[in-house]
Amino acid sequence: MRNDLRNPNEPIAPASSQFVSAASLRARLDWFNKLRWGAAFGVMAVVLIAGVGLKAPIEVRGLMLTGAVLLLLNTAYELRNRRFKAVDIAVELRLVKVQMVCDLLALTVLLNLSGGVENPLLFLYVIHVIIASLLFKGREIFQIAWLAIFLFTADVFGEYFGLLPHHHLPTAGEVAHELSFVLMTLGSFWLVILFCAYVGALIMKHNRSIKDELAARQAVLLAEDRAKTDFFRFVTHEIKSPVNTAQSGVETALELGGESMAPSVRDVLERAIGRLKQATKIIQDLADLTRGGILKEENLTEVDFNDLVSAAVDDQRDLAARSSLAMNVLLPDPPIILTTIRNMAETIVANLVNNSIRYNREGGRVSVRLVDTGKRVRLVVEDQGIGIAEEEQDLIFDEFYRSTEARETSTLGTGLGLAIVRKFVEELGGTIEVDSTVGRGSTFTVTLPRKSRKRRR
Amino acid sequence: MAEKTILVIDDDIDLVEIIRVTLENQGFKVIDAQTGARGLAMAKEQDPDLILLDVMMGKVDEGFQVAYQLRSDDVTAETPILMLTAVTDQTGFDFDPARDKDFLPVNEFLEKPVSPRDLVDMIRKHLPTSV
Repeated sequence: MRNDLRNPNEPIAPASSQFVSAASLRARLDWFNKLRWGAAFGVMAVVLIAGVGLKAPIEVRGLMLTGAVLLLLNTAYELRNRRFKAVDIAVELRLVKVQMVCDLLALTVLLNLSGGVENPLLFLYVIHVIIASLLFKGREIFQIAWLAIFLFTADVFGEYFGLLPHHHLPTAGEVAHELSFVLMTLGSFWLVILFCAYVGALIMKHNRSIKDELAARQAVLLAEDRAKTDFFRFVTHEIKSPVNTAQSGVETALELGGESMAPSVRDVLERAIGRLKQATKIIQDLADLTRGGILKEENLTEVDFNDLVSAAVDDQRDLAARSSLAMNVLLPDPPIILTTIRNMAETIVANLVNNSIRYNREGGRVSVRLVDTGKRVRLVVEDQGIGIAEEEQDLIFDEFYRSTEARETSTLGTGLGLAIVRKFVEELGGTIEVDSTVGRGSTFTVTLPRKSRKRRR
Repeated sequence: MAEKTILVIDDDIDLVEIIRVTLENQGFKVIDAQTGARGLAMAKEQDPDLILLDVMMGKVDEGFQVAYQLRSDDVTAETPILMLTAVTDQTGFDFDPARDKDFLPVNEFLEKPVSPRDLVDMIRKHLPTSV
């Protein structure tokens, strides 16, 4: 169960499609269906006017039949769409492909019945390929393109070699002076040109609006992020002094009262100190989160990461013993030397190990592994604890977010630990991932570069 | 042993009173100032045995400015200065008075909140033994 960034309610689009959801695909298909109605009725109207009204010598029956088949297919498709809601993009796309093949076949039959190579309506293949490129991706577009080429070539050569019947268009001799031929050629030409322009404009408009929207959203997010950071910094600064002073005051009272104090008074004061220490911890965490630009060249030092990890684990062995946890540490030999900021690296390891202890089950195991992967180093902290629901796995790195399980397990915890870990990991040029199953445990994997360096902004 | 005088320079009047109670209970005499300027004047007039100085008062570096001026004055040049800070969480770097002696003219940094016991221990450690 990898943690990736997407809305869990959104169906996953197959790699072959550029549509985010089945519904947005369906919306576009509806538009193409309207086109198909127009095309089928158009063909039948022209055939009726020319063949029956003007008594032109054309294959009225065959052409009408082809038009009717198209209408029938489109009706079936529409009925099916009204009946079923679009759910699966893959199914929708497969159906569209069937449609597209039928369209190409119908077009080829139409052309065969109306002059084949003589008929300028052959431009209509272009429109089909453009539609295909709007719906499909990569290889599939070329499959449609090659099918179009194959069908028309087969018809032209079939007619040329006499394998297929040739239905001569009622044009004689000089086509440039034949009004019907000139109009048909110009009509096809206009249609294809305008269609290309229209589709191109549509795509670019869509593209631009997406770009604009992304830029606007990005700006809003950045501003919000900055405002949040400023707010935290302000709150931290303002709240720190009174809390510190209150803590000093209560500690002083406890100290001065000494043994003469009633145990109940002492207990109350000790509780107050406990809560004030908790507040101090939150303030400290917030300060960590909102401080910026820590990664300066002069702060980078060479750190024995093996030592750092074992020290961080040793610091928390007492805490682990209280829940009878087994602590397994696996370190590589030779030890890993990192160029990093020591206290940031310490905080990363300490926070992850602390979480794996606090959210573990009684008698469980914490496993800390360090893996040398050449240019980078991988720290894996694994527990057998409460786990994190998949839909919460992105959120646990947000400030103050505590998962449902975490809140039920422990009232302590500021909800800032992982936010700090993520910030520090990113600051050092690393990545963090979580892999977790509710009730079975979580695995946090941090990858850090051997040498952290100041990022260019 | 004569009563030692501690000058507390901090704009947090509540903290000053808390420190006063702690120190007077231990037999020190406490005088206080709420601004850097007032603190400097008092240091000159009364020549305290030790100065507790808050790092940030009105301005971010007021405490440092005061410390430099104390060091450059003949009366207080040798007076131990303990600096109360909450600055580590603001700037993100840790002070080390031993390492940074050249540009940090104070004897020790005490991170707030300081427990009364630590405060007293630290003051005793830095008080000149022979006066």
